[in-house]
Amino acid sequence: MGKEELREELLKQLHEGVVEFEEDKVREAAQRVLDEGLNAYDAVMNGLAAGMQEVGDLYDQQEYFVPELLMCADALYVGLDILKPHISLEDLGDKPKGQVVIGTVQGDVHDIGKNIIKMMFEVAGFTVHDLGRDVPLEKFVEEQLRTDSEIVALSAMMTTTMMGMEKVIKMIKEKNPNVAIMLGGAPVTSDTATLFGADGYADSAGNAVQEAIKMIGRLREMQAKWTDN
Amino acid sequence: MTMTSKERVKAFFNREPVDQAPCFSGMGTVTVQAINKMGIRFAQVHGSAGYLAGSAIASAEMFGFDGIVVPYDMCTVPEALGRGASLYENADGILYPTVPSKWATLDDVDLPEDYRSIFDQGRMPVVDEAIKITKAHEGGKLAVGGWVLGPFTMAGQLIELDVLLKGLRKDKDRVEAFLSKMTDLVIAVAQHYQDLGVDYMNIREMGSGTDLISPRMWKALIKPNLEKVFSALESPKINHICGSTDLIIEMMNDCGADAVSVDQKNHVAESRQKLGPDAMILGNFDPYGTLVQKDAGEVAEVIKKCVDDGVDAVWPGCDIWPDVKRENVEAYVKAVREYGKK
Repeated sequence: MGKEELREELLKQLHEGVVEFEEDKVREAAQRVLDEGLNAYDAVMNGLAAGMQEVGDLYDQQEYFVPELLMCADALYVGLDILKPHISLEDLGDKPKGQVVIGTVQGDVHDIGKNIIKMMFEVAGFTVHDLGRDVPLEKFVEEQLRTDSEIVALSAMMTTTMMGMEKVIKMIKEKNPNVAIMLGGAPVTSDTATLFGADGYADSAGNAVQEAIKMIGRLREMQAKWTDN
Repeated sequence: MTMTSKERVKAFFNREPVDQAPCFSGMGTVTVQAINKMGIRFAQVHGSAGYLAGSAIASAEMFGFDGIVVPYDMCTVPEALGRGASLYENADGILYPTVPSKWATLDDVDLPEDYRSIFDQGRMPVVDEAIKITKAHEGGKLAVGGWVLGPFTMAGQLIELDVLLKGLRKDKDRVEAFLSKMTDLVIAVAQHYQDLGVDYMNIREMGSGTDLISPRMWKALIKPNLEKVFSALESPKINHICGSTDLIIEMMNDCGADAVSVDQKNHVAESRQKLGPDAMILGNFDPYGTLVQKDAGEVAEVIKKCVDDGVDAVWPGCDIWPDVKRENVEAYVKAVREYGKK
């Protein structure tokens, strides 16, 4: 088998392993990528992330639901854990890489959507500072200042905790107006995001997951453009 | 003839004539206006029978709700099972209590043999007392609703949700066994509240909409447990699910409850067609959007649409967010009275 043929075969295995949530298949393929001296970043973006994009389509088509998404994400992480240490700075090149502070706001212990978004950032090469769930508002501000992160991503599953987001945004923007703030979660709408002064949002609970997966797609497109250039 | 609120709600569930459309809910309807009037903070309400009952009664009397529901938070049973409750007593504004220490895995689950043993644990006695106070208020004129989470949603309050959701596929037998225990727990608690004399019982299986799980999984894992719950309870009993319910509405209606309750994601006009004229449908306005975000002048249209789509009684899709606009709640109650009577 030629090198390109082998690459195609392993990308396919990674892709399928994620879609079919077969962790062993992903583990074996990821290890072979390394053993054969293939590019780890290519394997993440065009194998694992591409697989997750298909998972997003299956979710849109109501073939897959959240249990399946979670298992696909687990399979993706198996591959990411193996491949990520072997991604070189050269692979990332000029592409935007940075730091993000992420967490669910105080009063909210739902973190499934947040974890999927976190995965998306990790796939894209960001350094993620995960504050977890039920996070006191001032903690987001402190962590952003401590890490000088470019992005703060806030999640709230419930209407009842969404109001906390507005306070965090104000607190962060006061200290550092250049920080990009992303909101996600069930009750957040684009109107709410605008009203609160956020820079981006992900729609509804299920859609937060969908949006995250679509963002993987957009990142892959961007990566392809950079490669072409 | 003018009916009391309790008579009105009772007649409604019995499908008897009512003097005016009942305005009530199976979820919390406490308002900040009532809490402020009492001179307390939201975080103080949950641990005191007097505050719970007082704020529920004050909200009902201030706005003219026919029914009241306590408690407001979903942690009383998990707390009684040793999982704790974060009440956020020092936080600004309104935060509902959450469960801080869910069981991390199915192996950690530790349930008592007899679920009645939890009735004197945590804030369970506070809720019992609050129900008694509300029932006794002014000779029992208000309808007092009881509610318990459904088995699947209760499971999600007791173990980590991702463990539960993945377990539905990866560890099916053990998850099924756990859900079976949750079913017995829900029945025990709901029967306890029925023994205390609540006028209707709402089972809130809110975490089981098709935003999260497939209709096939709902049929296999949620429906049998809900059927068991409803067969063990007395009427009136309601099957409430928020989120996406269009794909499961027929199965919901087939679980043995007297009524189904859905939120704004349900297309009620289509559900009415699917279920026929005899099914009792409650719903389905967005409480946050309608009572907090909209202008008061837009509220009547929302309520009218619920009625025109075919609900039997207008219910909010969830707890109302306590920090409502007073004029919006007044418009909601007025619109229910005007448009709601069948």
